[in-house]
Amino acid sequence: MNSIKRLTALTRAGVMESLQFRLGTVVTLFGNLIYLALVYFLWKAIYDSCGSSVVNGMTFYDTMIYLILATAIFNFLEMFIIWDMSRSIQSGEIILHLLKPMKYRLYTFWSYSGTHLISFFLTFLPTFIVVMIITKGAIPLGWNFLFFVISLTMALIINFNIDMLVAPICLYTESTWGINMVKETIVLLLSGATIPLAFFPDSIRRVVEYMPFRAVYDMPLTILLNKDGANTMNGLLSMLGTQLIWCIVLTIAGNLFWNHAVKRITVNGG
Amino acid sequence: MEQTKTLKKKRGLLFYISIYRKILIQDLKSKMSYRADFIISNFGMIISNMSGFVTFMILFHNFPSINGWNYYHMLFLYGFSLIALTPVQCFFDNNWNLRFMVRSGDFIRYCFRPINVFFYFISEVFDVKGLGQFAFGLGTFIYAWCHLGIPVTIVTVSQAVIFLLTASLFMIAIMNAAAATCFWIINSGYVMVIMNRFRDFAKYPASIYNKVFKFIFSFIIPIAFVAYYPSLVFITPDNVPLLTWLSPLIGAFFFYLSYKFWMLGVRRYDFTGS
Repeated sequence: MNSIKRLTALTRAGVMESLQFRLGTVVTLFGNLIYLALVYFLWKAIYDSCGSSVVNGMTFYDTMIYLILATAIFNFLEMFIIWDMSRSIQSGEIILHLLKPMKYRLYTFWSYSGTHLISFFLTFLPTFIVVMIITKGAIPLGWNFLFFVISLTMALIINFNIDMLVAPICLYTESTWGINMVKETIVLLLSGATIPLAFFPDSIRRVVEYMPFRAVYDMPLTILLNKDGANTMNGLLSMLGTQLIWCIVLTIAGNLFWNHAVKRITVNGG
Repeated sequence: MEQTKTLKKKRGLLFYISIYRKILIQDLKSKMSYRADFIISNFGMIISNMSGFVTFMILFHNFPSINGWNYYHMLFLYGFSLIALTPVQCFFDNNWNLRFMVRSGDFIRYCFRPINVFFYFISEVFDVKGLGQFAFGLGTFIYAWCHLGIPVTIVTVSQAVIFLLTASLFMIAIMNAAAATCFWIINSGYVMVIMNRFRDFAKYPASIYNKVFKFIFSFIIPIAFVAYYPSLVFITPDNVPLLTWLSPLIGAFFFYLSYKFWMLGVRRYDFTGS
């Protein structure tokens, strides 16, 4: 009971912190709108020049909904763990975090939880509702939304663990920007956030199926849109199962790597 | 009076070039001590550029053309934009630190030097990872150039150089203006982040937008000038719009505006007396 209180205290602090920067939220929302307009014009041009309205099982509207929601999920999942960690190592602040009577990984996860909660309600949900109104029910609403929330939570955990696996690399290399860039690029491309996985050539897609990145964007979206694979109970369970396995595997791997890396930390001076 | 005039004259281009060289060498010396960082940053840059390349490959695996632009046209545009975005990456990267400096008050030290504040601040950092982008962009550009069968003559090559140089002014202007907002809004990093995201838009032909967005991307956030307008000189040489020929002038104008805006911020900063 006491420990839950401690964790929710961190969540509350995160909520308050992210509510502070209201202007930032407005500007980000505005930027997203322009970005979505670009995505719209680009794919409209693509489908117009192609002649057929269904490509690889995706219509123009499917693609749009997929990409818009992927952007919303991107905003929801965005964490700056790699930056925060390298900054706190450079300033020596990390020692304070390590001295806290709480595991560092747990502490980081819960301090971010408030930000996620806010961005779910302030960016993801409004986007989702707007998309629903505009497309007039192209998104089926029912049990799939519940499964989507479960799936999204696991996507959050997987994404967090990927970050926590990559962040300690900075301890060894002293290069934050490059590492972060490589991670971001690979995750966004191979998870289907830039182009839906349905468009990938078969050979590449078969490889991508065995990677954890798909579980971050493609799986929650497929479940939400009730597309191929998620429209049967078996397919749904296998997707959620895959996500769960990745959660466990990445958590264990992240823990092991962090425990090894933390011994490498050298903080100069006080 | 006469003396100050001659003093001012001495501060011509040569003076600034020699100062720039000195500051640059200092910066590179300190960068050399992190060799691993140099390699990894460039690797990251190339990976991220390559993902743009792969995106086009996947797109054109499914679709034959986009609005009349085929695979090599798009790669030409992409290569062009990567090269044109190199100067902002290499020479103007210190803009990203501006908000921290302004907030902490460290910025005041730039105001006490007897040289142009903007010049001194910007020259302090040379970002090496832009070199990776330049290499990748040049490779893509040449690859597409060959496949499109654009003739290699003195005229086309010098056109390419001039248009690449002037196209780079647009992104520099955007980032200057975005960075300068921190003189008015505390912690305005998100403005820069969003403007920076627009650089990804440079690789698409502006002809896909409707009128409103075409106007926005031409004259308000002039991202269409980074690659689309100038590369029309090479892609449709018989039908080049007037805006393309004017783009060097427009670029200089935007750069001048952003510089004035930046300096206005500095004036304001002086007056807060922090």
